[in-house]
Amino acid sequence: MSTINKITIAFAQIMLIANQLNAQEKKTYVNSIGIEFIEIQPGSMVVGKFQPTTTKFGFIEQYMTKESGDMGIPVLPDSDYALSEELSKRDALPGFTVTISKSYYIGTFEVTQAQWKKVMGTNPSFFQEGKVSNADQHPIESVTWNDVQAFIKKLNKLEKGNASYRLPTEFEWEYAARAGATDDISWSEINASAQIAKLTTQPIGQKKPNAWGLYDMLGNVWEWVDDYYNEKIFADPVPPKKGKEHVLKGAPFYGDVKNATYMTHAGGPGSKYDVGFRLLMELK
Amino acid sequence: MKFVSLIAFSLISAASCAQIPDGFTPLFNGKNLKGWHVSRSTHQGTTPNFHIEDGAIVASQQPYGQGGLLMTDQIFRDFELYLEIKIDSFANGGIFLRSNEGGSAYQVELVLPGGTGDLVGERIPVSVPAEAKNREKVWKAGDWNSFRIRMTGEIPHITLWINGVEMWDVIQTKNDFIAGATEGMIALQCHWTAVYSPAASKGMPLSSWRPGATHRYRNIAIKKL
Repeated sequence: MSTINKITIAFAQIMLIANQLNAQEKKTYVNSIGIEFIEIQPGSMVVGKFQPTTTKFGFIEQYMTKESGDMGIPVLPDSDYALSEELSKRDALPGFTVTISKSYYIGTFEVTQAQWKKVMGTNPSFFQEGKVSNADQHPIESVTWNDVQAFIKKLNKLEKGNASYRLPTEFEWEYAARAGATDDISWSEINASAQIAKLTTQPIGQKKPNAWGLYDMLGNVWEWVDDYYNEKIFADPVPPKKGKEHVLKGAPFYGDVKNATYMTHAGGPGSKYDVGFRLLMELK
Repeated sequence: MKFVSLIAFSLISAASCAQIPDGFTPLFNGKNLKGWHVSRSTHQGTTPNFHIEDGAIVASQQPYGQGGLLMTDQIFRDFELYLEIKIDSFANGGIFLRSNEGGSAYQVELVLPGGTGDLVGERIPVSVPAEAKNREKVWKAGDWNSFRIRMTGEIPHITLWINGVEMWDVIQTKNDFIAGATEGMIALQCHWTAVYSPAASKGMPLSSWRPGATHRYRNIAIKKL
């Protein structure tokens, strides 16, 4: 056995141990339908901290060189940049602390078409086989908030005794999506982890997971959460008891880096084919 | 005296040539936003300030740096749209055609300086874009300008007239819409400039929507074909 082979085997053994350690830290659960969940530990986060940016050239600045100059981006009078600073300060929001006091399990992935079919026997999705390949592994879409409640009711019957299912609240969703991040997610990290700027839904789990192992929290389909929408830029500390629509989190497959962040607080109805969900599970 | 009456006459003639053509149904009542709603799921922003001033819809950002879309409640397939527009410079907006709720659509750009009247895609690539090369010949700077847009067909055939003069007439090579949509909403765009936090990025150049800028729309009407 060559030295290189010995090193390779030793390295593989170390990786195996590391993976086992990770697996112990990351408590997962797969239910009878094949839906996988990851346990989320309690903690806290700041929601709705708004620090609007005020730069002259925006993201284009990073592409500007000595040779390229301002690349034709119009330069406004200095008074406009001063005004933008003033307006940014005026409209900034400090946010508020949300404490998650109980652990819960959240879907590692968005619920797929195959999983929906297993429970409901139907498939309302627009992007079925023929329009996309491997449609079974695409997220279910074209489901209203009430359709999802019917799915959950049926799943709770099927899984009676083991666990109970519901939609996450907006804060449970955002806490899991942030995975410990205190500030907003960077555009480069969004591009690595979110299915955006596409023309169809994509199979689940193709992009980089977040720090807690959750896939497609951003992009692919908007995800229904339990709360009513408050018609504001961010959630209130206490969600409204009534409303016209429910909150959507996470951005769609044709989304932009602008809204594919865990901070985005959108509302229904969405565009049907861009709305799905992931589940929250509580073990009994 | 003669000078004053000349001004009065030209004001009357300017007002009389700006009106909804025969056979069109108003989409905007000049008083409130009945029949319209704000998109809650566009990346432009979900809390824009669309309000009424002097019988016109005024679009501006709210809060600072966040734009949005004002959309018709109705959806349209084949139509001719008429509207009059007055736009500030350094403010990027547009008229979205057959838009979905999230603001993916064919778009007639509204931006000065820039490609006002150009046909572009919003969150979709457009197979046959178009440029309003002769726009400046008919454009009334700092004033109201009328847009008439005809859109028909499963594979969209789109024509634009500005102030009654044809700018372009294009037939796409395919249906470029997500999900092959053949109908959708008319929407008016106010561009975003700021992201939620500098940790995300530096956002858009400030000239994409100069602080305090507005777009105005009036006499919005449609003829279903």
